[in-house]
Amino acid sequence: MDEVFVIGAGMTPFGKHPDTTAAELGASAMLEALDDAGVALKDIEAAWVGSVFQGMAMGQRALGEGGLSGIPITNVENACSSGSTAIWDAALAIRAGAVDVALALGVEHLTGRFRGAFTPDESDVEAQRGLTMPSVYAMRAQRHFAQYGTNSEQLAAIAAKNKRNAVANPLAQFKKAVTVEEVLASRLIAAPLHLQECAPVSDGAAAVVLVSKRKRAELGASRAVRLAASVLKSGRAEVGLKDMTVEDLTWRAAEAAYEQSGLAPSDVRFAEVHDCFSIAEALRVEGLGLFPHGEYPGRVVKGEADLDGRLPVNGSGGLLGKGHPLGATGVAQVVEVVRQLRGEAGARQIPGARVGLAHCRGGKAQGVEGTACTVNILTV
Amino acid sequence: MVGLDEATVTKRPYELEGGLVRLRAGRCPECGAVFCPARLVCDGCGHRGLDEILLAPRGTIYTFTQVHQSTPEFATPYDLVYVDFDEQVRVMLPCAGEETPRIGESVEIVLGRGPRLVEGEPEEGPQAVMVVKAGTERSDGNG
Repeated sequence: MDEVFVIGAGMTPFGKHPDTTAAELGASAMLEALDDAGVALKDIEAAWVGSVFQGMAMGQRALGEGGLSGIPITNVENACSSGSTAIWDAALAIRAGAVDVALALGVEHLTGRFRGAFTPDESDVEAQRGLTMPSVYAMRAQRHFAQYGTNSEQLAAIAAKNKRNAVANPLAQFKKAVTVEEVLASRLIAAPLHLQECAPVSDGAAAVVLVSKRKRAELGASRAVRLAASVLKSGRAEVGLKDMTVEDLTWRAAEAAYEQSGLAPSDVRFAEVHDCFSIAEALRVEGLGLFPHGEYPGRVVKGEADLDGRLPVNGSGGLLGKGHPLGATGVAQVVEVVRQLRGEAGARQIPGARVGLAHCRGGKAQGVEGTACTVNILTV
Repeated sequence: MVGLDEATVTKRPYELEGGLVRLRAGRCPECGAVFCPARLVCDGCGHRGLDEILLAPRGTIYTFTQVHQSTPEFATPYDLVYVDFDEQVRVMLPCAGEETPRIGESVEIVLGRGPRLVEGEPEEGPQAVMVVKAGTERSDGNG
């Protein structure tokens, strides 16, 4: 199969954009990615556009706003992994030799759309009984507490780390660092998770331009980053009584990505992972095989996941600090990895980074472990 | 159309037996996997059609939370638990009662709509059942 390279990345500021439409956000991210790649609208052969709650034909609306129409446009909904699934789709088309230049865009405008907590679809049995997304992770946190002695201070340290990292990211929603004490003093959303341990409601968009090896050579794209692995998996049906601190879905996606890239967890220099909640970061990182199972929260307290630590996690601020416009999140993670690998991450630059991993896992439905999970590994 | 005539399990998710509330579930005749609610096809092995079974009236709390922010359809705060049943299936249910639920505690299924603010008969739909700590004296179905 053909190799795939990212040659352009673009991203709007994440946060509240009440006076801007989803289409405008999407167009802005796309045009920045095209300019970054040094390609024109006419060079894009096909596009995949991830969003979750944006209604019909988000892709055509956003790309049309940006002056791009007529090409194959596919709208992708895969819960919080919608944007990263768009990347997977685009990479697949290039690997298959169907196109040489593809756009993957993620876009979401949530301001004013929601009251209260996110829930699974209203038809879901558990949602009808009162399950919310924070409560799922709260219950998994209680198991992590019971099995590994994890505590609330350790989880709060994860949130404090990511909000601190966000201060160094001009595109992040949160501009202010918070202490562990401040995290624990914020109101409870679902015990033991506090408000500051939950990703915010956000608007934003992110885009990447992907090309084949041939096209990369033709363009002479010197700042290209190789997409060494792109994997999508869905959650398996829950049969029997499983350990809810174990992310089988994350591990299956990661295992396939390590195999596809020929890399091991020990090769990964930094990671952007799906920290929709503080405990989620621990479950992901442990599921990816980057830290020993059950130990991550304690190691965060020791600074091992800091920007200057052994393995920086969510140096961008993550979902907790940067914001979480659902469909845009998976693409924004890859944008961050690309900028780190190019040495363009400014105050949050990780020196000498050559291998970065982006993990995105979204959604909930009764009877399956999770809905969709992607792992993308990028190298220079 | 395959099997849709059997897709009525979620309508009334329980049976009453001698004053005990038992959840309706499906067991695969091929591999033995149990699903609650039942499904059209076994997700363990792909076998079409599950045998209907009733779960034990009691189970054990696997994990818990107290929800403080929900959607407008629910009155907060409320407790949720995942309950493990001897039939090797885990079910999420609201938990009534004053005390915080704890991992490992025994609970029993009772009727009651839990925290959901809904019109109509509480015995309809998935929200018709909840749990209380085993042995709890109960005044009504709404906890």
